[in-house]
Amino acid sequence: MPDSFLLLAALFLPLFPLSMVFNALYNRVQHVVLRCILLIGWPHIGLAIIYSTETIVPTWIVAWALATSVLYALRMLALRGVGQWNSFLATSMWAMLWLSTTDTNQGLHHLYTFGVTTPLILLALLSSGLEKRFGAAYTDLYGGLAQSIPRFAGVLVVVILAAIATPLFPGFFIMLKLILETSETMPAATFTLLGIWLLWSWAGVRLLQGLIVGTASSGNEGEAVDFNFLTCWSYVIVLIVLMLSGVYLAGDLL
Amino acid sequence: MMPKLILLIILLPLLSALLMHLFAGQIGRCVARVSIAATLLSVILSGVLLWLSLTGDLVGQSISISPWTILYFDSLSILMALVISLISLIVHIYSLRYMAEESGYVRFFVLLDLMTASLLLMVAAGDLITLIIAWHFVGVFLYFLLGQDTRNPSAYRYAFWTFITYRIGDLPLVLAAVLLFQAYGTWSLPFIFEQLSQAPNAHSVFGLALPEVVGMLLALAAFARSAQFLLHTWLPYTMDGPTPVSALMHAGIVNAGGFLINRFAPIFANTSDVLQWVFIVGFISAVIGSILMLVQNDIKKSLGYSTMGQMGFMIMECGIGAFSLAIYHLIAHGVFKGTLFLSAGSVINSARKNDGVPKDELYTFVVEKRSARTRKPWLLMAAITLLVPLAILIFSHWLVAEDYFQKQGAIVLLFFGWITGAQLIFATYRTHAQNLWRLVIISILSFAIVIIGYIFISHAFEIFLYPDAAFREKLYLAASIEKIRFDILVAVITTIIVVGWLVAYYSERNRKSKHPKYTGRLWTMFYALISREFYFTDLYSLLTRTILSTANKLNIWLRWN
Repeated sequence: MPDSFLLLAALFLPLFPLSMVFNALYNRVQHVVLRCILLIGWPHIGLAIIYSTETIVPTWIVAWALATSVLYALRMLALRGVGQWNSFLATSMWAMLWLSTTDTNQGLHHLYTFGVTTPLILLALLSSGLEKRFGAAYTDLYGGLAQSIPRFAGVLVVVILAAIATPLFPGFFIMLKLILETSETMPAATFTLLGIWLLWSWAGVRLLQGLIVGTASSGNEGEAVDFNFLTCWSYVIVLIVLMLSGVYLAGDLL
Repeated sequence: MMPKLILLIILLPLLSALLMHLFAGQIGRCVARVSIAATLLSVILSGVLLWLSLTGDLVGQSISISPWTILYFDSLSILMALVISLISLIVHIYSLRYMAEESGYVRFFVLLDLMTASLLLMVAAGDLITLIIAWHFVGVFLYFLLGQDTRNPSAYRYAFWTFITYRIGDLPLVLAAVLLFQAYGTWSLPFIFEQLSQAPNAHSVFGLALPEVVGMLLALAAFARSAQFLLHTWLPYTMDGPTPVSALMHAGIVNAGGFLINRFAPIFANTSDVLQWVFIVGFISAVIGSILMLVQNDIKKSLGYSTMGQMGFMIMECGIGAFSLAIYHLIAHGVFKGTLFLSAGSVINSARKNDGVPKDELYTFVVEKRSARTRKPWLLMAAITLLVPLAILIFSHWLVAEDYFQKQGAIVLLFFGWITGAQLIFATYRTHAQNLWRLVIISILSFAIVIIGYIFISHAFEIFLYPDAAFREKLYLAASIEKIRFDILVAVITTIIVVGWLVAYYSERNRKSKHPKYTGRLWTMFYALISREFYFTDLYSLLTRTILSTANKLNIWLRWN
């Protein structure tokens, strides 16, 4: 693979320090639709670049990708902004896609990428919802969402669980696939993947606790409007489809 | 027909959770009764399956939905399904009124049902993926059950400890599953076990036999779930959750470690060193759990450490190859600990009105941990400590098998008899018996129950769960240690018990004599150590803070991009 292509691919399947470009861009773009477009499109450009060259990815890139993934998973622990948390998780996840670039089926690879990114798109929408309701999407700022807007909080919980690769969602099966693939040839990578998974869980729970737990401040309780029936069920249906696609996907993976 | 029944046991709680969520708005809180009805039905179905299994009409039924969705109902899973659904039913009924004043009433029952379904799926999993999924979900639902009161950050803080420890425990299980799949090319447990029995040493990982590596990983997963030494700190601190959740957790969920080891018994039967390590970890956990239980002044935290000690015993039993004994232990422990938790509120309530404490020396010595001035309680305690295990061993020798002394399982009887016998004496003493003979008769009867329970019932469990005598022997063989090591171990343990009592007695007796400084300082140091719970919690908190601080520094250096 020519170096320029490699560099370009490392920008879109973000490898540190090129990953800083995506994160800076994501945080600069405030409009939710643009953020969703970024999340949907960014990794697919990277995949398309890799597959267009038809060259085997060198091993040192895999090590670099894993290091990037660990770095962002670790840094997620100290984040309070939901938007930033989302972009860091995206970076950590997409960097791992380098590990499965040996997959010959490009279409399937794009599908996996979409599967792991969909919860992040939902989280971007929810983050925007928080900004509209409270002026900012930060943990430990208002808290008590479970009390003040229970439907919203419920959806947020499931979306975060989906994002951190909880079973039945596509992330879980893709994580399992990567562990399976690396366990024979790269045991160190397997241990690193398990460590990353643990860090995601830790970061996810910290984010949840900072948002849903606690007593809702009296000012916010009156102002915040919960999801209506239709919006709530729209999210539920997307999550169910995501879960079913995860299970279906697993049939292929495993 | 039978596979449908089997499937229904797991689907009923799931269906109930869905119905409750959908109709809570229309029916209101009465919807919780749907949950109770579904759980009751699960209990009945599990009971029917157990009956069929006992009569020999049901042997190893499995339902294969896809290559990685297999439900397997053997003796172990049927027995565990009955235990889980029964404990869940008791918790459901208790919660109906206990949680009535709490917010999130319906959510609580939905989570309770999802937890029951996950536990049932876990015990019925016939493939590695289903097992991992159920294993993972138990941790997730427990986190939300412990944090039922969303206004309470403290409850969530400790629920997080549980969650993260469980996640740490999930990872070795995933790794073990992946290694087994790599070796055998299937996720199906019955198929893997069959292949393994035909050629135990056919595969290796980094030069080590596959069963050895997988066994170690599975043991690690079991340790995290059953709060074993170094992975135990979450258990005593999860008391901010609702009492029914504590009951369910202590009676059912923490026992999963024992279940996992039993489920993978064919793997452990082909190991050479793993079970010895399992025994050592169980032993340390039993001792530390029992010590820390004594210094707690909060009844629920004390029960938490008591559970850690009991889980230590359970793991020890696995470590000596007495796998079925561990299952019997976890059932017995589940029943009695569940009862204790569910009655903790009533005890506290009645204690507020009348503490009911008979103020005499033996009671203050035993319960209030105040030292006695006379020798009588000391001698009595020392006698209990030495005589109870001896009595049990003699009875076992006399009733069960002449070579029982030579069997290494005797060591667990020694320990369990020591602890349980002492506890039974205290319990009978608290019946306020004025008549000494009556007290003695009650004690002897209690010992008899312990002996019968631990020898005859465990033997029955052994026949039911592991009918193949050759396999049972293989398990004991895998767990055995050299005779000289075993003898040394028994000698060391006996010495520790005897010396412990002597030191306690003489240090108390010589409190005002020549060298009070040294013994006093030693005791203070020891007390400081155990009151800080051996500093494990502090150490883990420090580690957590360091990681978070590193993450924060990295973010600042990299300008949050």
